[in-house]
Amino acid sequence: MPYPTGYRLGIDIGGTFTDFALYDELGESFAIHKQLTTPDDPARAVLEGTTALLDQQGLDLSSVVEIVHGTTLVTNAVIERKGAVTGMLTTRGFRDILDMRQEKRYDVFDLRLVFPDPLVPRRRRAEVNERVHYDGTIEHALDMVGARAVLADLVARENITSLAICLLHGYANPAHERALGEMAADAFPDLTISLSSEVCPEWREYERFTTTCINAFTQPMFDQYLRRLEHGLTEQGFAGQLFVMSSSGGTLTPETARKFPVRVIESGPAAGAQMSAFHGRALNRPELLSFDMGGTTAKGALIRGGEAIKVYFQEVARVHDFKAGSGLPVKSPVIDMIEIGAGGGSIATLDVRGTISVGPQSAGADPGPACYGQGGKAATLTDANVVLGYLDPNFFLGGAMALDVEAAERVIETQIATPLKLPLARAAWGIHEIVDEDVARAFRIHASERGFDYRGSSMVAFGGSGPVHAMGVARKLGIPRVIFPVAAGVMSALGLLASPLTFEVARTKQAFVADLSMENFSSILAELEAEARAPLQDADTDLSIVRRLDMRYNGQGHEIEVTLPPGPETGIAALPDIFREHYAAIHGAALLDTPLVITTWKVEATANAPELTTAGPEAQGAATPKGSRQAYFDEGYVTTPVYDRYNLAVGTVIEGPALIEERESTVIIGPGEKVDVDEFGNLVAELEGAP
Amino acid sequence: MTQDRLDAISVGIMWDRLVAVSDEIVSTLVRTSFSTIVSESYDLTVALLDADGQLMAQGTYSVPVFMGTAPATLQHMLDVFPSSSLHPGDVVITNDPWLGTGHTFDINVMRPIFYGGRIVAYVISITHLPDIGGLGFGAAAREIYHEGLRLPICKLFEADQQNDFIIELVRTNVRAPDQVIGDLMANVTATKAGEAMLTDFLTEYGLEDFTALSGEIRDRSETATRARIAEMADGIYKNQIQIEGVDGPLTLACSIEIAGDAISVDFAGTDACVRRGINVPFCYTRAMVLYSMKCLTVPELPNNGGSVVPITVTAPTGCLLDAQPPFPTGARHMIGHFVSPLVFGALAEAVPDSIQADCGMLDLMTFQGTHRDGHDVSTIYFASGGFGALAGMDGAETTPGPSNMAVVPVEVWETLTSTTIEHKALLPNSGGLGEFRGGLGQEVVIRNDSGHLMTVFCMANRTEFPPLGLMGGGPGRAREHRVNDVTVDPKGHYELAPGDRITMIEAGGGGFGDPRNRARAAIDTDLAEGFTTSDGGSGT
Repeated sequence: MPYPTGYRLGIDIGGTFTDFALYDELGESFAIHKQLTTPDDPARAVLEGTTALLDQQGLDLSSVVEIVHGTTLVTNAVIERKGAVTGMLTTRGFRDILDMRQEKRYDVFDLRLVFPDPLVPRRRRAEVNERVHYDGTIEHALDMVGARAVLADLVARENITSLAICLLHGYANPAHERALGEMAADAFPDLTISLSSEVCPEWREYERFTTTCINAFTQPMFDQYLRRLEHGLTEQGFAGQLFVMSSSGGTLTPETARKFPVRVIESGPAAGAQMSAFHGRALNRPELLSFDMGGTTAKGALIRGGEAIKVYFQEVARVHDFKAGSGLPVKSPVIDMIEIGAGGGSIATLDVRGTISVGPQSAGADPGPACYGQGGKAATLTDANVVLGYLDPNFFLGGAMALDVEAAERVIETQIATPLKLPLARAAWGIHEIVDEDVARAFRIHASERGFDYRGSSMVAFGGSGPVHAMGVARKLGIPRVIFPVAAGVMSALGLLASPLTFEVARTKQAFVADLSMENFSSILAELEAEARAPLQDADTDLSIVRRLDMRYNGQGHEIEVTLPPGPETGIAALPDIFREHYAAIHGAALLDTPLVITTWKVEATANAPELTTAGPEAQGAATPKGSRQAYFDEGYVTTPVYDRYNLAVGTVIEGPALIEERESTVIIGPGEKVDVDEFGNLVAELEGAP
Repeated sequence: MTQDRLDAISVGIMWDRLVAVSDEIVSTLVRTSFSTIVSESYDLTVALLDADGQLMAQGTYSVPVFMGTAPATLQHMLDVFPSSSLHPGDVVITNDPWLGTGHTFDINVMRPIFYGGRIVAYVISITHLPDIGGLGFGAAAREIYHEGLRLPICKLFEADQQNDFIIELVRTNVRAPDQVIGDLMANVTATKAGEAMLTDFLTEYGLEDFTALSGEIRDRSETATRARIAEMADGIYKNQIQIEGVDGPLTLACSIEIAGDAISVDFAGTDACVRRGINVPFCYTRAMVLYSMKCLTVPELPNNGGSVVPITVTAPTGCLLDAQPPFPTGARHMIGHFVSPLVFGALAEAVPDSIQADCGMLDLMTFQGTHRDGHDVSTIYFASGGFGALAGMDGAETTPGPSNMAVVPVEVWETLTSTTIEHKALLPNSGGLGEFRGGLGQEVVIRNDSGHLMTVFCMANRTEFPPLGLMGGGPGRAREHRVNDVTVDPKGHYELAPGDRITMIEAGGGGFGDPRNRARAAIDTDLAEGFTTSDGGSGT
């Protein structure tokens, strides 16, 4: 039995709060908790919050059989450049790949564009004599004596504590990388070592080297953190299994996470998307847009056939206004997320066009929006939502923080409304609406690039600002249905509990389909399958295997990913048809009689997803508003009833306009729209004119 | 929402949406195109024009050379097929260098958009085709007739009915016909997607047409651009540079007048056309001026017809920058890219804080031969020089400008060609000295390990005239090509026998400001990282 019955605990460290969700499998119920994150020692909030939540529930840690942990520690270490002093060994002649990047500008009009500095500066990179060809053959044998000398120099001169070994074509033949790794471990036992052929066995040297350097840079810190956490939990009596959430929406054992911290880089948002997928499956809505909006950014993901779409590329630590291309590339399995620089704290300004722009600059939490009354002078999205009556100044964070309405009105009046000669309310509505448009635009482009038709899908909205903007975004996209899930405030922590144990490997090996033999084809996949199964061996015997290939027409610039049908054998003869089917789904048509090429081979092993069923809300009877206030709809303020979400019974139907408040957010339902409370306690809104 | 409610809020929202529509069409185009120059280098654009042929929005990602060409192309098309003669489902195309974008490789595909029974917009999609016949991509032609198929303005579709003759005509005249037709059809599909998006747009916002919105967008853009120009000091600014032609140096000259909130640029003094495929049709010259001005005025402003109104561009007929038929234009970028440094150099005094020193620019080298596995090889290697420095900023290493093609990774290149890159390394000290130094160039050595003869076609610049510094900054190191360690003509083509090597030494960017003012910390960092060496001069 892979998931023993009992209490399971999800813990997600975010920028501001560390969230906890404790799930009781027998009682089919859960308890939640929030604790301020402790950036100086993140494990402290985790341990304190765990104790606090269990005390509330009258339990102790020994009754918890499993903890699943998600964290932004790895991303933050890269963004803040707080990692190990890292060195790099590479093939003679290629030391400068990290400085040369992709030799491309991400913005052709901005001459002052900024590129991220390499994580490993040039002086900490050394070349070794060796050369492997693209087909794995060796031109120059490894000069181990020389390599040992340059490494000794790096250790002595630069005091490196972690080492990235990045050789050209290391994915095609890892022999030299492995030999260097063994030498380094032997000569310098204190060094942490990352091999590019293990971290990211895919072609494109700049991306692979960078990914490996990020792994090396964060490994000592993450190892230390996990050790402190495991120790602390054990001391408090935890005897269950700890898992760490990965960016790809599956969980890893601590051993695997220690070895590959780069796979943990976006684990919190991945868990949120996984929870959206979970709701979609539970509600039989397999096609979804997952929409999470918080204080500084919004994140989106597409769910197709009940599963979040994954990719093998992301960018972290962008240095120029969230612009794509201004960050460090990471090639590892990850849920395909859109990040938009728009959240509650995003600042509205007048742009050069004489219209409003919102974000990506954010007032953050301190000083925060003007309405926080902490000295914020900028007009933010939250200020606009207060002026529009969408947020209750006396019930922000469940009333924990009173908002200053006059301050919000003042900043919007002076900075937006007066210069544009507009009434205050219309200026505020403009800020709100521009954000809806920005989010919708990001979803449109993202979906178009992936051939995802969202018009028949549903949206799952969460995060502090997601429910405030979901209906507006859905209307712009023509999405017929929005789901506001229960416990949206700790969505990621819950998502941790809904994520299966998984591991996947991808390796570049170019092959013309016409030249491949069946034996060759099967043996490449079998080898990868063994690698994918290995880290999961102890945890579960019942693994499902998914095989994917990156393929393209010979000569075409972009690969597309195709999924092979389940089962051990798929004949090569079927590949052209499988490719065409995937190609047509994305591109519509354009089928050519051109040779097909496989570039990258991928195998993913996944254990069964854990069960997560919950009983619906206990509230009974018809919905009664707890009050009403003036809120802005259809170009004017209307008296709008306000409901307490926690007092809505299953089956309740509320007609818009209505505001439905919970502790962390407010659901805005416009005139002509209506929302139902389903059997699980989710709010489900159908949009006007929906099919 | 009604048309009289086009306040700042409505305009902003709908404007963003129109840009999003053009970007979404671009994404369709990128996904379906075969040409790697389209999919990886964005050598494409999508333009949305209103019923009057005015540019409302253009795809955010495209190379600079397509700025401002679409309205002129549309006008030429409407001269042949007046709007009254167009029907839903019509698609009009041309690749004529003087009607489109300056060389026969670019196909311009236009679809009129009907709503409520009349034309409300035009969508134009442009991509660089994989081939167009003739001598192939390069500067070798002596006349335009060597540069392949030149399609006059014609209807590829008439009321959704494909003209099979044109398809067969193209197919018969090009190499890799499947890919060329595939790319042509990708444009057709993209404009069709645009039709649906634009009509949905009108329905959603309750508009009858785009006229009022387009006017607002262009007015606001013009106002923003004029405001920036007005901040520049009035005057007449001149510049003249020498660049490498095919048979000796060529002179490019410009005179720029800033008067209040308008700019006029003239290229009198520029040499006459030459009988090689490097001549620049005026549409391309103008695009490069508009691009350079956008960088200096309001780079963040979305492209549309408004921001170009204050900028007038003229050139003497028949000069290199206003080539006339039958002069060939295939590699017009070789001269045309210098419009940007020419203009920047002229305006150094006027806007010293915005201007950029010369870039080392991009080097394109075509490789043709046979892979060790027997497949044909025909592909382009891109390698970038250093980026020019700016006030307050060192130039980035190996970063292209004004064009923008990404390098093919070493591992991908070697797999595709079975050549071996022996090394690819930064060239220390190659950036121009300055308070802010130029970006470093690089050295790449490629060895022919294919076991077959391999031909390389070079089109390098900046070998005799290195990238210049500005405001006291020094020049970057010049570009150089070598075959088996012997320096060769940078515009020749060479046959590499198995085991032969070609070396590309890429130029460094120009420096900015007096090197004696360089900050101590910056000097120390460069020395510590080895970007400069103490014997190579670091401004100390």
